[in-house]
Amino acid sequence: MECNNDINAMIDLAKVADLVLMLIDASFGFEMETFEFLNICQVHGFPRIMGVLTHLDSFKNNKSLRKTKKTLKHRFWTEVYQGAKLFYLSGMVYGEYQTQEVKNLGRFISVMKFRPLVWQTSHPYLLVDRMEDLTDPEQVRTDPKCDRTVSLYGFLRGAHLKNKGQVHIPGVGDFQVGDVGFLSDPCPLPDARKKRALNEKERLLYAPMAGVGGLVYDKDAVYIDLPASHVNQLQEEARPTTELVQSLIDTHSTLDTKMAASKVSLFTGSATLDPTHISQHQHTREKEMLEEQSVWDPTTNRERRKVIFTQEEEEDVSEEDDSEGSDQADDEDDVECEETAAGGAPPQKKQKLKAETGRSGSCAELPAFADSEDELEMSEEEEEAGTPGDSGHSSEENEESEDELTDDDDDGGEELGKQHSEKESEEEMEEQGALKWKEGLQQKAAEAFLRQQEAAPNLRKLVYGSVVEVTESEEEEEELGGLFRVSRLQKSKKLQANALDCSRFHADTGHDWDVQEVLDSIRDCFVTGKWEEGQDAATLLKQDEELYGDFEDLETGEVHVSQPQDTQDDDDDDDDEEPQVKMDDEEVQKNKRLEKKRRLKERFNSEYDDGDATYFDDLKEELQKQAELNRAAFGDMDDESRVQYEGFRPGMYIRVEIGSLPCEFVTNFDAHYPIILGGLGSSEGNLGYLQMRLKKHRWYERILKTKDPLIFSLGWRRFQTIPLFHMEDHNGRHRLLKYTPQHMHCGASIWGPITPQGSGFLAVQSVTGSKASFRIAATGVILDLDKSVTIVKKLKLIGYPFKIFKNTCFVKGMFNTVLEVAKFEGASVRTVSGIRGQIKKALSSPAGAFRATFEDRLLMSDIVFLRSWYPVSVPQLYNPVTSLLLPAGQKDSWSGMRTLGQLKHDLGIRNKPNPDSLYKPVVRAPRRFNPLHIPKELQKALPFKSKPKQQQPKGKTPKDLQRPSVIREPHERKVAALLHALSTVHNYKRKNAHKVQHAKHKEFLQQKEKDEEAKLKRQREAKKKLYRVMGQKDQKKQRSSLKGAPSDL
Amino acid sequence: NNNMASHGLTYDGCNFFRQRLVLSTLSGKNVKIKNIRSRDDEPGLRDFEASFIRLLDKVTNGSRIEINQTGTVLFYQPGLLYGGPVEHDCNPQRSVGYYLEALLMLAPFMKTPLKATLKGVTNDPTDPTVDLLKSTALPLMKKFGIDGEAFEIKVVKRGMAPGGGGEVVFTCPVRKTIKPVQLTEPGKIKRIRGVAYSVRVSPQMGNRIVESARSVLNQFLPDIYIYTDHMKGTNSGKSPGFGLTLVAETLNGCFLSAEMSSTPQGQGEPVLPEDLGRNCAKLLLEEVYRGGCVDSSNQSLALLLMTLGQQDVSKVLLGPLSPYTIEFLRHIRDFFQIMFKIEVQMPLDDERKGGDKVLMTCVGVGYSNINKTVK
Repeated sequence: MECNNDINAMIDLAKVADLVLMLIDASFGFEMETFEFLNICQVHGFPRIMGVLTHLDSFKNNKSLRKTKKTLKHRFWTEVYQGAKLFYLSGMVYGEYQTQEVKNLGRFISVMKFRPLVWQTSHPYLLVDRMEDLTDPEQVRTDPKCDRTVSLYGFLRGAHLKNKGQVHIPGVGDFQVGDVGFLSDPCPLPDARKKRALNEKERLLYAPMAGVGGLVYDKDAVYIDLPASHVNQLQEEARPTTELVQSLIDTHSTLDTKMAASKVSLFTGSATLDPTHISQHQHTREKEMLEEQSVWDPTTNRERRKVIFTQEEEEDVSEEDDSEGSDQADDEDDVECEETAAGGAPPQKKQKLKAETGRSGSCAELPAFADSEDELEMSEEEEEAGTPGDSGHSSEENEESEDELTDDDDDGGEELGKQHSEKESEEEMEEQGALKWKEGLQQKAAEAFLRQQEAAPNLRKLVYGSVVEVTESEEEEEELGGLFRVSRLQKSKKLQANALDCSRFHADTGHDWDVQEVLDSIRDCFVTGKWEEGQDAATLLKQDEELYGDFEDLETGEVHVSQPQDTQDDDDDDDDEEPQVKMDDEEVQKNKRLEKKRRLKERFNSEYDDGDATYFDDLKEELQKQAELNRAAFGDMDDESRVQYEGFRPGMYIRVEIGSLPCEFVTNFDAHYPIILGGLGSSEGNLGYLQMRLKKHRWYERILKTKDPLIFSLGWRRFQTIPLFHMEDHNGRHRLLKYTPQHMHCGASIWGPITPQGSGFLAVQSVTGSKASFRIAATGVILDLDKSVTIVKKLKLIGYPFKIFKNTCFVKGMFNTVLEVAKFEGASVRTVSGIRGQIKKALSSPAGAFRATFEDRLLMSDIVFLRSWYPVSVPQLYNPVTSLLLPAGQKDSWSGMRTLGQLKHDLGIRNKPNPDSLYKPVVRAPRRFNPLHIPKELQKALPFKSKPKQQQPKGKTPKDLQRPSVIREPHERKVAALLHALSTVHNYKRKNAHKVQHAKHKEFLQQKEKDEEAKLKRQREAKKKLYRVMGQKDQKKQRSSLKGAPSDL
Repeated sequence: NNNMASHGLTYDGCNFFRQRLVLSTLSGKNVKIKNIRSRDDEPGLRDFEASFIRLLDKVTNGSRIEINQTGTVLFYQPGLLYGGPVEHDCNPQRSVGYYLEALLMLAPFMKTPLKATLKGVTNDPTDPTVDLLKSTALPLMKKFGIDGEAFEIKVVKRGMAPGGGGEVVFTCPVRKTIKPVQLTEPGKIKRIRGVAYSVRVSPQMGNRIVESARSVLNQFLPDIYIYTDHMKGTNSGKSPGFGLTLVAETLNGCFLSAEMSSTPQGQGEPVLPEDLGRNCAKLLLEEVYRGGCVDSSNQSLALLLMTLGQQDVSKVLLGPLSPYTIEFLRHIRDFFQIMFKIEVQMPLDDERKGGDKVLMTCVGVGYSNINKTVK
């Protein structure tokens, strides 16, 4: 399958791929899609990935080529694993890759080992390789938009697929499977393996949906239109020539159109069929389908039986029947099949038809197919006879089966008869309409019963004999009928449906446990009874003896030898010829010795190995044992019955019929896109809340916003939903986040399909087109599934005190009613300043006010708040990405709900910002300071220096202190002016005089200083002279005293 | 609608009520039951069924139950099994066994381990009593890998029909997956155990029952021990009564059981303890005659656990299928699309091991407990 450059197709294919060939244009380098695809693979299990480098011929320089190869290889290795296989394709020659390289690549692929992926091994899936619209054309004509019935074909993979299960088709939706049937392998393996190459005959081209011309499909066969001359050139056909590839590449038309255009010849050499012819054929077929469908009652499959088909329609009818009656088909005898086959129609179908008519008709028709029909089937039908309505079958059947179960072998026939009559009467009482087919059941049952007695019972046939509704129990009742008495024979059906619901098995059997023979019948169930040959105590002892009989008592040195076995044998064989016996004896003994040796060795081995046998080994061994059992359990059965027990095996080529697909699936069908049919587990079709661990992808550029729609790929599905992100607090509380953390895991809750825990998922913001940046927004894993969510966000309720007592305080504004307060009685509150308190009781007067106590006295300016957690609900949006329903060519343009950001962008909405959050110029009022006020007492005490002075300027002089201004007479003015002038002159003179005086004085001071200096100098010299004289005198005195003293003396 | 593809299943009548609701819960399919006693004088659901629905509502989260005005139509949309501590007053019309049987099927698949306290009638003649389930259902479930310390049924108080007043505590761990089993060889019976219980009657009753039961069983086996359990005072419930539960254990660890209770006070002929003991012993012999690895009242439990196993083959040998089991098989096919391969094993001529046996084989659906949280 080639993957388009569409993230939808990439996601779908990553889920079903076994091997991914990742083509990398070496001349360009890695593309974003490469990494996206690798990440998708990582999330959904990691299939084998093999890189293929192409365009290597565009490198002219050998060195740069080697360098590029190396860098690409290493980058690839870090993504996949060290040593991941990377293949090199050197380049195209004449528009084709080189044969040898392609061959090598093929060889690599063929020896590749695939790893089992958890999701794939636990779910059945189908990569659809053929699609057919089975809707009645008439219906399509009248209502082109009507839902379509479609059959899809493909190889089943993964796990076993059960009939009537649920499937999901990614890109379309969830559907109930109408019917599943298996066909022969359209491309079987050659018989002999181990050959290096296939011979020409075995070279098959299986290229479904590849648009290889001239293919026409029927229900279970494919016809290829070949000109007669081509018959001998199969090989050419098989090898995809350029033209074939070309045609493959540019097929855009659907199968329908192709079919309409192509001509078909069923046999070589025969005339080709007109397209019109074919369409006619189809038409008839589909018409019949329609009829069936129109009558179809989805809950009860029986209604449709009333439809009477004409001979021509046989085929179609049978096809339709297939949908519900694969079981039926099984029951029918082979003989019949052959007969019908002779008629030309596919055998199964005819059979079914017959069964159908038989049922719908009266009992008179019964003999027609009585021979071929099983007893069991009839008995089943008989049972069904009891059911009043369609849906009630289960309970009614049960009742019957009970009856039969309790029958005794001996009187079974009679009692059965009785039952039947009773049943009949009951039947009659019930509504006639739905029960037509049930007539004559009694006869059938009786016949069946007799048959049973004589023929060795084929259980499979007995159980699943005919009708879909048949259950295993029937067989039970027939087989075990002998064990039971009729217990509730007398009760009517209706009572039965409403009978006491009790699991106890009331034993009304006639075993009289006082009788010795009866007691003896269970004698061997007890340890005191007789044992089986192999487990008899005596034989066991003997074996032990054999094994452990020989030993040497090391203390006493005594050697114990086990009883020789052969003596016994000898005795037995005494009658025979002596020599012969001797020979045998030796042989036997030798064998015995060998046996003994082997056993001892085994024992030793097992004991020795026990030492290092790990838990893992045990587990592996257990698994292997179970796998063997699984193989063995149904290995000997034929496929038809086997699929009923274990479902359709992986590897089968199956045909799945699905009703009510949207018409766009057919009209917009594009073979370029993969159609995957993913089977779902028992409750995986349900919706619920999913809790997951999520991490924003490290290559995604933005963080994700809570409540923005996101497209998830989870399980088989792709869907859009609205996640809420949250974080788990240390106390287990899930606190809502507004955005995902940048580099950390966080929790996410979504409303979506129930998927087993541990499944990985990825999320993308949009699947439309391709963008430059990395598209995978987040990855993660499912942790928990639930029907409710526990996410909360913080909510602070604010109130204000309006009356304060000591530590008690009345608070208002937090609640609106007394009832609200009552709910929060005892809740702890806190003020902004950190004083803690408790809500006590509601007050009556302002509604919603309450009394609260605090650990300290509050202020009126305090704000009281209550921290609470408010549960958040996850929006229930589940919007499957229906990309396959879009018209061809636009399949990558699916868009769902837009995110808030996108909406705003698209609609040009800009939120008005909160005016408080806007920046404004800062205007500061001038600062005014109050005068410093010093109390009088203090003032008094202050020293004068610090006392405030009368600093304030004098205010206006009061009126009484104001003097009137003097207005002078002109004479006075003249006098004043003269005086002023005189005083000015005088001042001037005085100033000058002062200056002169000042200068004189300065001169005088200088003179005086000089004189003083001279005087000092004189005095100093005088002193000097004097001191010199005095010094000389002293010297003389001293000298004379030294020499002239005697003279003195 | 909860389910995206299917519209659920529809049934008629109130029979097999529990099966349908239990399987619906496990498979996640909606179920609608119509015509519940619609022709009856008192149409609609009975009190005990309503009580059962309430119990189901307690152990699940998100279930939607709609009942029409007359109670003749019930619509059930299952939620997810939640578990945890559950306390329930069972309606005394049916004994606790009625409720417990369903809980046994659901308990391993809960989100949190179940600790259910059920109050009501512990022993009555219609349903399997608590003692029986304790001694047979639990060892059976252990074979499927459901075990652990906290896996037990404890009779705190005994309450006989019709008054009730008993109390049973059932605890069960949760499992992610169920192991497949191969129970094809029941083995020989090595011992017989039993409990003779009596409340609000003479303590001698127990001894008289034991005496008579032993007289029958001693013909087969010497290893018989029957405990007498006489409860007094507040532990003795509201009504007088007595009864016997017998369990035969085989060498391979299979348990076959039989039981009998005295008729509830004022509801028919009183029985003598001697008769009861003898009849009960004969019932056990009958059960042995039927044989198999699972006794008749637990057949459906065994089949359910086989169905819910991994995608592996499970085999179990049963005695003849009871009507209840047969219906259960049909329901399993409806809900899980699983069919059992049924082979009858006829006894050999010289074998003295009771009647025909049935070998049931199936491939599990690969069920995993979607309720359990992974961390």
